[in-house]
Amino acid sequence: MNFLLDPLQFEFIRDALLVGTMVAVTCAVLSCFLILKGWSLMGDAISHAVLPGIVLAYIAGIPLAIGAFAAGLTCAVSTGFIKQHCRVKEDTVMGVVFTGLFAFGLVLFSRTPSDMHLDHILVGNILGIESSQVWQTLSLGAVVLGVTLVLRRDLLLICFDPAHARALALPDRFLNYLLLGLLSLAIVISLQAVGIILVIAMLVTPGSIAHLWTERFDRMLIIAAGTAVSATVLGVFISFYFACNTGACIVLAQALCFVVSLFFAPKHGIFRKVQVVN
Amino acid sequence: MAEIFQTLLTPFHYDYMVRAIWVSALVGGTCGFLSSFVTLKGWSLMGDALSHAVVPGVAVAYLLGLPFALGAFVAGLLAAASMAFIRSRSRIREDATIGIVFTAYFALGLLLISLFPTRVDLKVILLGNILGIADIDIAQVLIISAVTLLILGLKWRDLMLFCFDPNQARALGLPAGLLHVTLLALLAAASVAALQAVGACLVVAMLITPGATAYLLTDRFGKMLWLSSAMGVATSLVGAYASFFVNGATGGCIVTLQTLVFLAAFIFAPKHGYLAAKRRLRHSAS
Repeated sequence: MNFLLDPLQFEFIRDALLVGTMVAVTCAVLSCFLILKGWSLMGDAISHAVLPGIVLAYIAGIPLAIGAFAAGLTCAVSTGFIKQHCRVKEDTVMGVVFTGLFAFGLVLFSRTPSDMHLDHILVGNILGIESSQVWQTLSLGAVVLGVTLVLRRDLLLICFDPAHARALALPDRFLNYLLLGLLSLAIVISLQAVGIILVIAMLVTPGSIAHLWTERFDRMLIIAAGTAVSATVLGVFISFYFACNTGACIVLAQALCFVVSLFFAPKHGIFRKVQVVN
Repeated sequence: MAEIFQTLLTPFHYDYMVRAIWVSALVGGTCGFLSSFVTLKGWSLMGDALSHAVVPGVAVAYLLGLPFALGAFVAGLLAAASMAFIRSRSRIREDATIGIVFTAYFALGLLLISLFPTRVDLKVILLGNILGIADIDIAQVLIISAVTLLILGLKWRDLMLFCFDPNQARALGLPAGLLHVTLLALLAAASVAALQAVGACLVVAMLITPGATAYLLTDRFGKMLWLSSAMGVATSLVGAYASFFVNGATGGCIVTLQTLVFLAAFIFAPKHGYLAAKRRLRHSAS
C-alpha cells in the first residue's frame, strides 16, 4: 500500500497524475475517431510540425500553445493543398511537409538563444510540469473532450461513412476541420506529458486496443479511455521508482496492453481465432 | 569582397566540417537513390517508422559495446517483422499498426537510454551529430552506403518492376518475397546511415523528399533515379556547409533545403507542377 501512497505526498506526482489522466482521456477519445477515419499518422505529422510554432511563439512572446496550434493546422492544411494539386501520394506529401516544418523548427531553435530544453519538447517532462501549465492543460483538455463528446455522433458519421454524412446534410467540411483542430489541440496539451515523438502513441494505441475488444462505439470510447488512464498512472509510478523517462513508461505500458489484447481479446484476438479455426 | 570570400571559405579550413560535408553527401546520395523506390512503392511511412524503431537497437549496441549499425539494423528488421505479424493476424489497419509498433520500439529505446544515461546521448540519436562523427562511425556509414548502392545498382530493374507491379514481377518469375525483404533491409540500412547525419526525426525526409521531387519532374524511372540521387547529394552538400553558419543544426539545414526544393518543384515543374496545371486549365477553357 505504501508503494502506492508514498509518491502521492509529492506535489509534482499529484500534478503529473492529474495532467496525465486528462491527456490520456482526451487522446484516447480522439484516437477512437482517428483509427476509424484512417488518420492515425496525421497525428504523427502534426505533432512534429508544431516545433517551429513553439519556437516562433517563444520569440514573439505569446503562449506556446497558440504557436503550436497554428503550426499544426498549417501542416494539415498545406498537406491537403499540395495533395490536391499534384500527383504525389498523400502519405508522401505528409512526410515531406512535416519533416520540412520540423527541420525548419530545428534551424530556428538553434538560432534562438532560450532556456527551453529541446529534450523536454521532444520526449516530454511531465514530472517537471509547472502549476500554470497544469491549469492550462486541464482547461484545454476539458474543452477538447467536451466538444468531442457532444459532437460524437456527427464526428463518428464523417469517420465511418462520409457519403451518408453528406446525404444527411451534415457540414462535413466543417466537421473535418473541426476534427483536425481538436487533434492539434490534443497534441498541444500532450506535448508536456509525452513529448513530440510519442504523442502519436497516445493517439493511436488506445483506440486500437478498444477496436480489438468491441464492435460498439460507445464501449470503445470507455475501453480506450480506461486503458489509457491505467497505463498513464502505471507509467508515472514506474518512472518515479526507477527514475526513467515517464513518456516512455506510459507508452510501453500501453503497448503491453495492446500485445495482451492482440492475443487474448475475446473475439478478435489471435488465440480466439485459432480456436475457431480448429 | 575578399572578406566575404574569406568568410565563405572558413568552413573548409576545419577538418571536421570537410568530413561532415562529404559524409552527408554520401548519405544524401544513397538515401536519394533509394527514395525513388520508396516513393513508388508508397512506403513513406515505413521509412518514418523504421527510423524511429532503430533507437532501442542503437541503445543496446552502445551498452554492449557492439557496432551501433548492427544493433540498429536488427531492431529495424524486428520492427518490420512485428508490423507484418500484427497486420496479417488482426483487424487493425496498416497505418495504425505502424504507429503502434514504432512508438513502442522508440519508447523502449528511450527507457533504456534514461536508465543508463551516461552511455548514450539522446540528442545525438534524435538529431544526429555529423559534426562530431567518429572515424569508426564513418567506416560504418561507408560500408552501408557501398553495399546499398551496389545492390541497388545491380538489381534496380528487378526492384523497379516489383515496386510498379508486384503481380507482373511474380508472373515473370522474379522472387517477389525476396525483393520485398531486400528493399526493406536496404531501407533499414539507409535509415541507420542517415541516423548519423540528420538524426532519427529527420531520416524520413532523406528517404522520401528527393524521390517525391524527382517524381514531379519526370515520367521516366531511369531519369528519376538520377534526379533524386543528385538532389540528395546536392542538398546534403549545401546543407552541411550552411550548418556551419547556423550553430550546427546540420540535419535541420539539409532537410529544410530539401523541402524548399520540393516546393519549388511543386510550383514550377514543367509538366506536373501547380503553375503548369493552371495553364492547362486556362488553355482548355479558352
